[in-house]
Amino acid sequence: MKAIKNEKLRKLLSVIIPFVMIPLLVTLGALIFEGSRYIIISSGIAVLTLVYFITGFERRQTGSRRMVITSVMTALCVAGRFIPFIKPVTAVTIISGMYLGKESGFFVGAISVLLSNFYFGQGPWTPFQMLGMGIIGLLSGVIDKPLKENGYILAVYGALTGLLYSLIMDIWTVLWYRGAFDLYLYGGAVLTALPHTISYAVGNVVFLWILGRPFGTKLERIKRKYGI
Amino acid sequence: MKGMKEYNPISLTVYFLSVMFIVMFSMNTFIFLLSFLGALTSYIILKGAKEKGFMVLILLSFLTSSLINPIVSHNGVTVLFVVNDNPITLEAFLYGISAGVMITAVMIMFRIYTELMTSEKLLYLFGGLSPKLALILSMSLRYIPLFGRQIKKVIMAQKASGQYNTESFGDRIKSGVRVFSVMVTWALENGIITADSMTARGYGAMKRSRYKSFRFDTADIVLIILSIALACVTVYCLEATQTLYYPKVEIEINGLKAYTGLFSFGALAFLPVIAEVKEMIKWKYLKLKI
Amino acid sequence: MEILEIENLSFTYPESKCETLSGISFSVNYGEFVTLCGGTGSGKTTLLKMLKPELSPLGKKEGTVKYSGKELNIVSAKQSAGEIGYVMQNPEQQIVTDTVLHELSFGLENLGTKQNVMRRKIAETASYFGISQWIDKKTDELSGGQKQLLNLASVMIMSPKLLILDEPTAQLDPVSAEEFIGILKKINSELGVTIIISEHRLEGILPISDKLLILENGKVIHFGRPGEVAGNIGNNRKILEAMPASVRLYHMTGGETECPIDIKAGKRYIEKRYGSNVRAYPVAERALKNPVLTVKKVSFRYSRNDKDILSEVNLEVYEREIFCILGANGSGKTTLLSVMAGLLAPYTGKIEINGKNIKKYRSGELYNHCLSYLPQDVQTLFMKNTVAEELEGADTRISELFSDMERIIEMHPYDLSGGEQQILALAKVISTNPSILLLDEPTKGIDAQSKKRLTAILKKLREEGMTIIAVTHDTEFSAECADRCALSFAGELISAEETHRFFAENSFYTTPTSRIVRDIAENVITPEEFSELYSDSDKEREL
Repeated sequence: MKAIKNEKLRKLLSVIIPFVMIPLLVTLGALIFEGSRYIIISSGIAVLTLVYFITGFERRQTGSRRMVITSVMTALCVAGRFIPFIKPVTAVTIISGMYLGKESGFFVGAISVLLSNFYFGQGPWTPFQMLGMGIIGLLSGVIDKPLKENGYILAVYGALTGLLYSLIMDIWTVLWYRGAFDLYLYGGAVLTALPHTISYAVGNVVFLWILGRPFGTKLERIKRKYGI
Repeated sequence: MKGMKEYNPISLTVYFLSVMFIVMFSMNTFIFLLSFLGALTSYIILKGAKEKGFMVLILLSFLTSSLINPIVSHNGVTVLFVVNDNPITLEAFLYGISAGVMITAVMIMFRIYTELMTSEKLLYLFGGLSPKLALILSMSLRYIPLFGRQIKKVIMAQKASGQYNTESFGDRIKSGVRVFSVMVTWALENGIITADSMTARGYGAMKRSRYKSFRFDTADIVLIILSIALACVTVYCLEATQTLYYPKVEIEINGLKAYTGLFSFGALAFLPVIAEVKEMIKWKYLKLKI
Repeated sequence: MEILEIENLSFTYPESKCETLSGISFSVNYGEFVTLCGGTGSGKTTLLKMLKPELSPLGKKEGTVKYSGKELNIVSAKQSAGEIGYVMQNPEQQIVTDTVLHELSFGLENLGTKQNVMRRKIAETASYFGISQWIDKKTDELSGGQKQLLNLASVMIMSPKLLILDEPTAQLDPVSAEEFIGILKKINSELGVTIIISEHRLEGILPISDKLLILENGKVIHFGRPGEVAGNIGNNRKILEAMPASVRLYHMTGGETECPIDIKAGKRYIEKRYGSNVRAYPVAERALKNPVLTVKKVSFRYSRNDKDILSEVNLEVYEREIFCILGANGSGKTTLLSVMAGLLAPYTGKIEINGKNIKKYRSGELYNHCLSYLPQDVQTLFMKNTVAEELEGADTRISELFSDMERIIEMHPYDLSGGEQQILALAKVISTNPSILLLDEPTKGIDAQSKKRLTAILKKLREEGMTIIAVTHDTEFSAECADRCALSFAGELISAEETHRFFAENSFYTTPTSRIVRDIAENVITPEEFSELYSDSDKEREL
């Protein structure tokens, strides 16, 4: 990536790879292979994508303060669930992306899913969830400006990411039980999960609406005070 | 051979990957059955049948998978009955059961895998890929219980200052958000102490080395070789056997090659059982000697 | 030979106008044990951080710091990380990783140590510090004392030559603190490691120090042998307050000869000076009337299969009284406080607040105007960005609690010192005008000056009609402000009594002053009381 001089092109590529290439590969995989092999292809892709991000992260120098802040945000995602009525994973992931950059956003999202699953059960779905939540964090880092400036945009974004995440995970559920994609079954899965999806999206909106800005102020203070 | 818990995370991962790879790639009901039996026996030996929640989950997954297939798939020639002009066929029903066995087997294997891969082993594995990620995981794992305890303290303190109410739904949300907000400040501000403690102990001063907390010995090499060899034999021999459901049920087992394939997969699926039983006998024998 | 030479060191923080450190010069020899002392804002932490390059703050620095004859800023990162160890106050937050083993290996990994060397060092260190028993544990499962010991061990594993400690025992209970100091002594005498330590609690540490350095307003005002320094500070009241009881007694009685720095020497001093001049301090009898909080046969446990944490506790606390509950960790005293605050429900017995069963209060009613609770960790109360926002809606009277409200009003609560945070939290919880105030370890980690201020505030609140119940380890604080005290032991409350009699009758759980003077002065528990009781005899001597 460093070889590409043009910064705009580089930025574009860093967006294209996760947002275009991966879904494309997944779709191609679905068309070429049939039956239950499809799930293994997509698992492979999910794992490879995670590895791609991790190796990139490994190469860079990261100071102790940034390491701590990333761990703190991750632990807040996971431990926040111990507070009754709070499920902060998505919202905190979004906030991390917005204020700490797209890489931190990705890792806070992906790692907090991995660690949450230690409490809620690991399974073949773990890499997909990690990737899904990671991409939400990454995206929040890419479009951080409008999200920071406008509370309404942030709220809508929170609702949309909540919905999208559930919809993508429903695709996975269908693949898992059925082997291949089936619109009829997908509709069923989406409908069954609907109450959960809606409460999830609403939770995100409420959380971001109340805590988005104050949380940002707190992060900005830490960044300013300790020069991160 | 040693007990499954004592294996190096790398060899454990290689083993589980080989089994799951074959199970998920093959379409063979015998393979599904063998892996299911192997996984279930290992699970009972390692964990006992204590986790009721997990058992229910497994049963539900099995039922979902085997019941959904005949509803959405109308292939097959033997029509059992017709619902809303859609024929429900015996073949689709049997196929669903076969797929259900596969899904259940994979889920049990995952459960065993996560049981064996403690956070310590997971860190070791990630450490090989990215020491930095392993450190973040380790730090987060240190913070989670700390934050959990702090949350309890904050709830107590907020209750006693009359700021934590659970009477109406709105109150609960407001109180929850309040507690979270206190937590955020606390965690971020105090995190700087952790960062100082890291820097003081030389973090970032030079290239880090990695402390490997697990040994890698002959038994591990044996497990890796066995896993890969058995998997290869299985893949090579598997073409000699087939289980087809559409348009109608056909089961093919062609001679020695097919039996070799099934046998080697059986051995692979039951490796944890063999290892554990061997350990049990060994300890019983040792005890007798004492 | 000198391991540290500091010459004319001055330091100014970027936004600050005045120097935090000014013209500091002193040197430390190899193997010396140096104790650093000074109140909040004296520049202790800044000075210690200037000795550790990785932690040195940004700002304007003048003068030189030499480590082993080399200027500190040219010491290599590897040498400084390995040879200069640094341990901080907070046991929880210094721990970086999830298991004890990872924590021990963390520093070695940072220095790129090879696997076989790491294995040996871990084995060695774990054995020396007695942590082999819990090496496989998660760091979160350790007690506070064990956590701080682990922090020390994870620094010592890198074999430092110089060990810097910034108030390492401030957050520990007295027993763990003593153990920790004992281990420091062992490291110093057995391994010859040079130690520089800053402390609030000097009681146990002065006798083992080679040098005592006193810092005030960023300047070294005394540096020398502890006995000498302690003998020379008589005219500086602020510094004197932080000194051990024997030193305070010495100066208050207009002492001569050598200044005693521990209990044993203190006893000898008193004996020599007063011989068998036995006197008794007159204990004022207070009438106990109007009980405001009654605990009747209260028992508590977390679940049916657990042991009782409280078993049949009885207690009556009266109007306008400060009541202290003392006792070791795990004796159930914090649980008792939570039960009295209505945060935990006992399985038998009842609690009455102002004559009404606590269960009959609705939660809003109980915590508004009736009862307030100051938690041990006061940071659990802060959520705003400035002190002003935190105190929004509180009575204007509250600002009287602070000595310099203007300075702190726009500051972030977390930028305040420990003592200031304590007072801010107190201001927050009493803003509802409660008649009963419950305090959990109010003096933990705060310096003598802040403690004095807190004591004064509590006494004033009592005069205004408040009833105060505190749970504490701090015998001197209880002696200063409590009307009655009780000892909590194995889930029971033992011997609730008038403070003077309580401490005078205890032989282990008592104040240092009482230990020193008990042979001749009955019922005396603070140096002030002693000097009051014997003032005529001291005056005679002066004439």
